[in-house]
Amino acid sequence: MAGKLILNDIKHNKLLSAATVFFMTISAALLILTTILGTELVTTIGSLMDQAQIPDLIQMHTGEIDTNQLAAFASSHPEIKNAQTNRFLNLENSQIVLNDHNLVDSTQDNGLVVQSEKFDYLLGMDSSLPQVNPGEVYVPISYREKYTLEIGDPMTIFGQPLIIAGFLRDAQMNSMMASSKRFLVSLADYERFKGLGQEEYLLEYQLNEGEDIHAFQSAYMEANLPANGPVITRPLILMINALSDGMMVFVILLVSIVVLMISMLCIHFILAIQMERDRKEVGLLKALGVNRKKIRRLYFSKYLLFSLAGGLLGLILAALFMQPMVSQLHELYGQADKPIVSILAALVAMVASEGIILFSIWNSLRKIDHLSALDALLSASKKGKSWVQYGLTGAVSAACTFLMLVPVNLSHTLADPSFVTYMGIGSGQIRMDVRLQDDRASTCQRMAKTLDQDDQVEQFTLLQTGSYPAVLADGSQINLTIEAGDHAIFPVRYSSGSAPAQPGEIALSSLNASELNLKVGDTVDLVVNDRLTPYTVFGIYSDITNGGKTAKIAGQLDAPVIWSVVYVSLKPEVDQQAWMARYQNLGVDVVKIADYVQDTYAQTLNQLQLVSDVVMIVGAVVILVVLGLFSRLLVEKDRYTISLQKALGLTNQACERIYFQKGMAAALAGIVLGLLFGLFGGQVLCQVILASFGAEGFRFVIDEVQTFLIIPATVLISSTLASGWGVRGIQTIKAYECCQGRE
Amino acid sequence: MEPILQVSHLSKTQILQDISLQLASGEMLGIMGPSGSGKSTLLYNIAGLDQPSQGEVWLGDVDVARLSEDQKASLRLHDMGFVFQQMNMMANLNLLDNITAPAKWANSQKSGKRKAELENKAKALMKKLSISGLENRSITEVSGGQLQRACICRSLINDPKILFADEPTGALNQRAAKEVMIELSKLHQEGTSILLVTHDSKVASQCDRILYLLDGQIQGELKLKKMMDPKEREEQVNAWLRSMGW
Repeated sequence: MAGKLILNDIKHNKLLSAATVFFMTISAALLILTTILGTELVTTIGSLMDQAQIPDLIQMHTGEIDTNQLAAFASSHPEIKNAQTNRFLNLENSQIVLNDHNLVDSTQDNGLVVQSEKFDYLLGMDSSLPQVNPGEVYVPISYREKYTLEIGDPMTIFGQPLIIAGFLRDAQMNSMMASSKRFLVSLADYERFKGLGQEEYLLEYQLNEGEDIHAFQSAYMEANLPANGPVITRPLILMINALSDGMMVFVILLVSIVVLMISMLCIHFILAIQMERDRKEVGLLKALGVNRKKIRRLYFSKYLLFSLAGGLLGLILAALFMQPMVSQLHELYGQADKPIVSILAALVAMVASEGIILFSIWNSLRKIDHLSALDALLSASKKGKSWVQYGLTGAVSAACTFLMLVPVNLSHTLADPSFVTYMGIGSGQIRMDVRLQDDRASTCQRMAKTLDQDDQVEQFTLLQTGSYPAVLADGSQINLTIEAGDHAIFPVRYSSGSAPAQPGEIALSSLNASELNLKVGDTVDLVVNDRLTPYTVFGIYSDITNGGKTAKIAGQLDAPVIWSVVYVSLKPEVDQQAWMARYQNLGVDVVKIADYVQDTYAQTLNQLQLVSDVVMIVGAVVILVVLGLFSRLLVEKDRYTISLQKALGLTNQACERIYFQKGMAAALAGIVLGLLFGLFGGQVLCQVILASFGAEGFRFVIDEVQTFLIIPATVLISSTLASGWGVRGIQTIKAYECCQGRE
Repeated sequence: MEPILQVSHLSKTQILQDISLQLASGEMLGIMGPSGSGKSTLLYNIAGLDQPSQGEVWLGDVDVARLSEDQKASLRLHDMGFVFQQMNMMANLNLLDNITAPAKWANSQKSGKRKAELENKAKALMKKLSISGLENRSITEVSGGQLQRACICRSLINDPKILFADEPTGALNQRAAKEVMIELSKLHQEGTSILLVTHDSKVASQCDRILYLLDGQIQGELKLKKMMDPKEREEQVNAWLRSMGW
């Protein structure tokens, strides 16, 4: 009986039933997708980090090391589970050729390593430890697609050939956001190339379970061990890995929450329409003695059926969309140890999304309890207010505009050259890195002189980075990676205060400031030339490079130079490529800052682009379905009025125009609201997310064409088509209907 | 005869005032009155579709007015049958399913045997009310008279103690109205207790007794002799109505 009632009801209300299933499907699909991607991201990264056995702390060091001193330190600290020293042979990018592709444009530090002994393993694609024979090389997986490489392709270093024997996953440096890439070679080849590059050390430590990394870092500093380079910690590695792919998950999560809300709104509305239509029937059931619970259950069972269909369809849809999205995750991080976790998470997401919708339906169905059998049977139906419907039309347009806007502007902002200022990089046009020369100081001075005399250069600044011990308020010591020079020429973005300009002033990256618990105006003591020198915190800036923990001072560096960077802007008429080629010949890495951003964010940008495209389609389809449905239902609701208007002499076109205009006015208002909310609210949302990665004070760089033309046009065209289809229902209403009795 | 229904001092704010009446088992009681006199409200309050502001409504040994909503619903489902002016059939079910619906709701057993029994019972009722062969028709595929007869079948499917009929011929043409009244009379003769609201003297003339309601109060009562000729009965009702100021 209930089955028959439901089936016949579905037959008679195909549009409403289809719309309900559509909303349930799309909500389930998006939530499942978000959950699977989130779970995959966490589990695959976790699996890789476990398999590779990443260190808890890595001190990078350029210069000599005393192995006895390191061994003594390791044996005197019981919190150390394992310690090892790895070597990294940093090569000049212009001397590396992958297949036919010279890495001269690469913004990464590329170098050779041999397989670690105890931990921090570089893994093959099957998660095993590759056995590298002389003459072979394993290449970072992120380069496979970037340079379209295959096993067997050649690689040359200073013209000496190697054969690519496979690709590797590097738990530490997999992400393009990590600034170095490790190539795995045999010990024999490493020794062969040793003289051609600059050797750096990775002093790596694994701590026992539950040990405090920060406390260990302080102990390391106090022991006066080699510390000429940045420090990387396990949480940082996890964050860098998660950041590049997490952005996509964040955007999809945002979309799924908004779509879930739209769906609940629309299903609630559909339910209200359905209840209004079935008012008499509910009254009859009550009059005949069917109790409230039974009636509610009868209606609910229909939605349960819908939700089952929606959930399953959502699962299928998510499975279809999931593949291209997780394929990059799998390529980068491999498969998770326990794929069952993702399957379970997907099922939980499906149940959760349908559960939320069903709960709201069950609540709405409580109206049945309050409906009097007599009122339902005898009185004219209560008409909902039309403005509510137009309000919903506006709200859906606004939500879809918002949805389309956020990912587009987020990816546009990340792709914009000015985004480097959030990364702790000056806003110049060209960046020159001087890392490998033995006589860095003199090379830099020479370069500065050359640039000064180069009349194609508009302005430039030389920034030199070194490591200073800093003494904290509690007396503990840490090493601060400090960049010295003129920070006013190409300033980074300061979330508070400004660039240091005088001696005794220091600016800290936001991660450093929060970790050291310092704010503008506070003082930090640096050990400069063995003397404790107080520095006042003058500014705090965004930085997500070098682990996000950097600092800046004005003037000259009083410590050994780890690396030097020159930022340059050229005069407008200068050919950038030709200029860069000229300086590349001087043996320094010269890259366009725009390319640097492109390189660092290529993974994230590709994914965001994919998500933006999907969101555009989803948004347009949601508008088509929702607005089409709303206007059709509005016409249905106003059937009597429309019939009366026709009886009084209004033509179909005139009636259609009235409803079309009202619908479009609501949609337009929605677009404006969506634009405003997307630009301001969306920015705040992105601010919150990016701040957790160290990019403070985020502002959208607005993609004007997309924001003010393509997105509003898409919403407008979808709304026009939907409303146009909806109001065509007017043609089926006969003028005589109103004469057959008042509603 | 033992009253099956006893109403004492029933009032409904601003509509009904201090109504008391009885319905004997097997009796057919008509309630007449002009529009707005409160006759339908009286029926709904007695049937538990509405809640009186005062008074008692005893159906057997149960005071309907004191029951909760769910208890009233159960009473309506098991012990009462309803025939409405507008029929109120479910559009998504065919005639047979509409008729068997209350029985299915009343009995949660879902065995095939039970289903077959119910269908047989419904078909028997349909045959009795001369609408055999329409079982699979939708409610839009039959005439008003046929639909109202199907409603009567539905009202009888659970063997109710009492049948409430609110203007059962109000929406029908003359011929259909006559057919429906013949069926109600037959049921009455078979011993069904019926409380009927009507403004049609022809319909009312089929009753054993008629109450005249005006401004929510009972103004008079007419007892009709059993053996009287239908024509004479109708004239008697009309004369009485005139005397009541109709």
